[in-house]
Amino acid sequence: MTSAVLNPRRYLMDDRRFVGVLFLAPALLYILLLVGLPFLLAIAFGFSDVTVGNTELNFIGFDNFAAVWGNDIFRQVFGNTVMFTLVSQVFILIFANILAIIFTQEFTGKWFARFIFILPWATPVSLAAIGWLWMLDTKYSPIDYLLLQTGFLGPNGVLSNSRNLYWLANPLLSQISVIFVQVWRMTPLATVILMAGLSSIPTDILDQAEVDGSRFMRTLLQIKLPLILPIMVIALLFSMITMFGDMTVVYVLTRGGPVDYTRIIGLYSFQIGIEGGNLAQGAAMALFAFPLLLALALLMLRVASRAEVR
Amino acid sequence: MSLVELRDIKKYFDNVRAVDGIELAIEDGEFLVILGPSGCGKTTLMRMIAGLEKPTAGQIFIGGEDVTALPPRKRGVSMVFQSYALYPHMNVFNNIAFPLKAQSREKKYDKRAIRDKVENTARLLEIDMLLDRRPRQLSGGQRQRVAIGRAMVTQPALLLLDEPLSNLDAKLRANARDELKEFQRSSNITAVFVTHDQIEAMGLGDRIVVISHGKIQQVGTPQHIYDDPANEFVATFLGSPSMNILRADGFSFGFRPENFLPKTLADNPENSRIFHYYVKRVEYLGSDRLLYGYVQSHDKELTLAKVPSNVRVSLDVDSNYEFAVHNSDIKFFDKTTGKRVEQQNLRGVL
Repeated sequence: MTSAVLNPRRYLMDDRRFVGVLFLAPALLYILLLVGLPFLLAIAFGFSDVTVGNTELNFIGFDNFAAVWGNDIFRQVFGNTVMFTLVSQVFILIFANILAIIFTQEFTGKWFARFIFILPWATPVSLAAIGWLWMLDTKYSPIDYLLLQTGFLGPNGVLSNSRNLYWLANPLLSQISVIFVQVWRMTPLATVILMAGLSSIPTDILDQAEVDGSRFMRTLLQIKLPLILPIMVIALLFSMITMFGDMTVVYVLTRGGPVDYTRIIGLYSFQIGIEGGNLAQGAAMALFAFPLLLALALLMLRVASRAEVR
Repeated sequence: MSLVELRDIKKYFDNVRAVDGIELAIEDGEFLVILGPSGCGKTTLMRMIAGLEKPTAGQIFIGGEDVTALPPRKRGVSMVFQSYALYPHMNVFNNIAFPLKAQSREKKYDKRAIRDKVENTARLLEIDMLLDRRPRQLSGGQRQRVAIGRAMVTQPALLLLDEPLSNLDAKLRANARDELKEFQRSSNITAVFVTHDQIEAMGLGDRIVVISHGKIQQVGTPQHIYDDPANEFVATFLGSPSMNILRADGFSFGFRPENFLPKTLADNPENSRIFHYYVKRVEYLGSDRLLYGYVQSHDKELTLAKVPSNVRVSLDVDSNYEFAVHNSDIKFFDKTTGKRVEQQNLRGVL
C-alpha cells in the first residue's frame, strides 16, 4: 500500500553528496587536468634544470628565475608585455564604451552593424592575425597602396618618400601594429560585456534622469558609467589576462621582431622553452607573469565588489 | 485656468491603441488621480505628460504652452516612479541634488543654493538625518520620501506619481497616503497620481479620471464617481465587493452590496424595491457579514450583500429572506454600450 514511501532501498541519485560531486566533476576535471596540472608542472620545471634533451628533474632553487631576470632581453620583453597590455586596454575600454553606447541606441540597421562589429571576435586568432599579416605586408600592403594613391607615400609623400611604410619592420610601427591588432580583436568582447551592463540598467533610472533634466553626457558620466563600473572591471580583467598570456598575434605577425621590439613573455617563453628546448627557463619566464596577474585580478575584483551597488 | 490640457491625445503601439483620444484639463493645485486596470493606458498617458513618450496624435499644453514636442527637462514636471528609481550609487543628498545639478545651467544654482535646497527639502520630509546613506540602506518608506524629495526639490509646476505607494506594505501605505496628501496640500503643488487601486484613488483624489482601453470612462469627485457611475465599467470597477449586475431584456441593472439590506433594516421601504434573496453562504468579516446568494429569477447571477455585523438580524445559510434596495440606489445600463440609462420598468424582470 505505502510501499513506495516505505521502500528502504535508496537510489544513488537520491544521495545529495553523490549528485553534487557528479555535477561538479566535469568542471573540476577540466580545471585540474588542463589548468591545475600544467600549472604545477610549470612550477616544478621552473625550479629544476629540465630540458628537452634531459627530462630528469633536479631541484636547483631560484637559479632559473635569477638567470631570467638577469637576461636583458627578458627585461625588455617583460616591459613590452606590460606596455602592450596597458596601452591596448586603454583603447579597448574607450572603443568598447563608445560602441556599447552606440549599439544600445535604437537605429536602423542596428542588427547588421552589431553583427559586423562582433566578427573580429568570432574569427580564430591565427586566421585573423594572418589576415593582418597580409594587410601589413612589407611590399604589398593594401594600406600602403591606399596611402600611395592618396599621395601620403611615394615621391614627395607626406609620410615618407618611400613607397612603403614597412609596418612590421619599423620598431615603432611594429609595436603600433601589434597593439592595433590586439585592440581590433578584443574590443568586440569588451563591447558585448559592456552592452550587457548597459542594458541591465533599469529603464526607470534612465527615464528618471531624463525627467530630472539630465542631458546625454551627464547621464552617461554620472549615471550609466558608474552603474556599469563593476562590469567594466570584469571586462578589463578578461581582456588584460587574455592579452598578457597571448602569443599568437605576435607569433604570426613578427615572431617578436624587429630585434625584440614586439617580443612578449608568452612568445619568448615559448621560443626559449619549446623551440629552444630549455623547458626550465621557459617555465620560469612564464611564471614571472603569474604574481603580477594574481595581484591585478585580486585588486580589480575588490574594486568591482566595492562598486557593486545592487 | 487649467495648468495642464490634453487635447485628443492618442498613442498607438503598432496596432495597439494604448491611449485613444483623451481630452482632459488638470486644474492648478488639484490632486488628480488617474484610475484604471493594468494595461488601460494610464501609465502611457502619464509618460506622455512627462515627455518620455511622444503622442501619436494630439497636443499637450502645460501652463498655456504647447509642450508636445518638448523634452522632459523643458516641461517643468517631476516624476516619482513606482520603483522610486533612486540612483543606487549616490547617497541621499546627491540623489535629491541631481535634478538641481542637471538644471543648474538654466537656473543658475550655485553649490550653496543646491545645498540649502536639498537640506530644506530633506527637513520637510524628515529625512535630513539620512543624507549620507545609500538607497539600499533605506527602508521602503524612506526610499519613497527620498524619491518625493528629489521630485519636489526643483519646485516643479506639476508632480507626476506612478503608483508610488504600491511597493509599501499595507500598514505603511495608509500612513504614506495621509502624508502624501498633506504634503501636496501644504506645498500647493499640482499632482497627477496614477493607480489601479480604487481605495488609493478614492482616498487621495480631489478628482478621479477612470480610464479603460485607452479611453476616459468618467471624470469626477470620488463621491460622484462612486454614487453616479457613467457606465457599467465604472460602476463595477469601483467598490469592493463590486456592484451586483443583473441582466434583463434590453438593459441591465445593478446595486451595490452595501445598499442591499434585509427589508426590516430599510429606512424607506415604500421607495424601495423588494427582492426575494436566497442566501447560499455567509462570510463573517468582522465589521460586516458578506452574503453570497441569488435573487429570484436570476439564479445564474451571483448576488452579494454586505450587512453590518452590528445589526442584530439573523441571516442563515440556505434560507430565503426579503431584501430591499432603495430605488435611487438601483442603476440602469444599456445592454450593448454599458452606458447609464433612465430608470427602466423592473416589473416582469423579478
